[in-house]
Amino acid sequence: MTEGGFVCLALMLAGLLLQLALGPVCWETMAWPANGIVMLLLLTSIALMHTLRSRVALFRWMATLHAGIPALLTCAMMTILLGVTRQVPAGHVPTEPIGITSMLSFWPFVLSYIWLMLLVGMVCATRLVRPKKRNIPFLLHHMGIFIALVAGTLGSADMQRLRMVVQEGKTEWRAVDDHHRIHHLPIAIELHDFSITQEPELSFSSDVSVHTKNGIIGRDTILVNKPLSAKGWKIYQYSYDETKGNRSDVSVFELVRDPWLPVVYVGIFMMLAGALSIFAGKKW
Amino acid sequence: MVTWNELWLFALPAILCWAVASLLSLRGERQKTVCLFAIIGLLIFGSYIASMWISLKHPPMRTMGETRLWYSLFLPLVGLITYSRWRYRWILLFSTILSTVFIAINILKPEIHSKTLMPALQSPWFAPHVIIYMFAYATTGVAMLLSLWQLYRKQEQMAAIDNLTRVGLSFITIGMLFGALWAKEAWGTYWSWDPKETWAAATWLNYLIYVHLRQSRPAAITPALLWQVICFLCLQMCWWGINYLPSAQGTSIHVYG
Repeated sequence: MTEGGFVCLALMLAGLLLQLALGPVCWETMAWPANGIVMLLLLTSIALMHTLRSRVALFRWMATLHAGIPALLTCAMMTILLGVTRQVPAGHVPTEPIGITSMLSFWPFVLSYIWLMLLVGMVCATRLVRPKKRNIPFLLHHMGIFIALVAGTLGSADMQRLRMVVQEGKTEWRAVDDHHRIHHLPIAIELHDFSITQEPELSFSSDVSVHTKNGIIGRDTILVNKPLSAKGWKIYQYSYDETKGNRSDVSVFELVRDPWLPVVYVGIFMMLAGALSIFAGKKW
Repeated sequence: MVTWNELWLFALPAILCWAVASLLSLRGERQKTVCLFAIIGLLIFGSYIASMWISLKHPPMRTMGETRLWYSLFLPLVGLITYSRWRYRWILLFSTILSTVFIAINILKPEIHSKTLMPALQSPWFAPHVIIYMFAYATTGVAMLLSLWQLYRKQEQMAAIDNLTRVGLSFITIGMLFGALWAKEAWGTYWSWDPKETWAAATWLNYLIYVHLRQSRPAAITPALLWQVICFLCLQMCWWGINYLPSAQGTSIHVYG
């Protein structure tokens, strides 16, 4: 396990050097197709290292607990560091020279999780080649976290959260992001009516039609806890003209698009199945 | 029409059934008898919730008081499942006491019945998320106590500690993932490294280290026992510690004023 500790230590030092040389990790460069390519490279290198494991001792070692436990420990320590340092809001520059106030873009933090996922990928490969029934819970745990974490991290650059302000009787195609940049969308929202009701309880609702370039695709009501799905976008009731209250003639929507979500959900449900399997099996 | 005034009519017989089940299980009686009493209690209390649902014409899940009804029902249910699966004799007593506390709050403090929850908490995910974590706290808490006992008295408890930790870790995993699914529905993101989520991840990783360490070095007893303490401290930080942690002030959506 000492070797594992040294590898992690070297990784952290490399991370610090990268942080000094390149600055914080720039997640925006991971947008499609870069994240697809990285995913492909990751899976190919795991498969390649797995095939070469009989010749390279390092690759054999990577699938063992001697490598895994120090990697888990490093991730735990980096996560605790994140837990005790006050973070700057997303997209802001760190307030100190090292970069730990923007931990999600801090190279050592990112590298510790990449290393852990590489090891988890390697150990999954060794169990996948000769599938056995008793390996199912193990694979659900390990492949579940691998899929959820890798897809969630790589996919985060493709996630869009935009806000759209629509006037009653108008159709709006544009929305703005957190940096006040305007985006032209493939869908548009036409607001027929916005209303606030007090009975039986306070609720905000927008009667809308959703348009695409080819015409209207449907009319529905959007409520606070009842978003609308259209063409890969989820449309949430976000706000209204609060100065006018009930007579507000505008409605503000939040539009969220997360194309990698189905993959993340596959991972999450595999982990859930793995956790539930403890109720069925005698041992893990 | 069933109202809050009828709660005690259902709650008292239910608590009585659960108490009998707890005593029988502590005395090591037959599992079938214990389960029978626990299930009758669940049916009685469940029928109260069902009647409330019909009277209110919506699921009773919008106020603090209504949410407590679900705690009071699900705690003995998860207790029963845990008991029938792992035969922990004390677990039914634990779940009965907790459930009774929530019922007592509902009977003695009627003013909270109508206190509306913030919209994000008015979700079917809320009750299961909280209850599963409560059970995780219970099982891992007992594991930590046994660890301290073994460190102090040198009595072999490793089998029980390992088993409780695995059960607890499964509950933590389920609770955390339910939280992620709920967050996606309420806020549009399943994981945002909010302080509560960060500490949940740290706790989860530390319990994973324990489980993997036990497998890798079964003879390393003392480090494993000390690790139990570290894990439990992380869990406490995640549960209530972040409310006092300077770095989390004003940034966590999990701190409700």
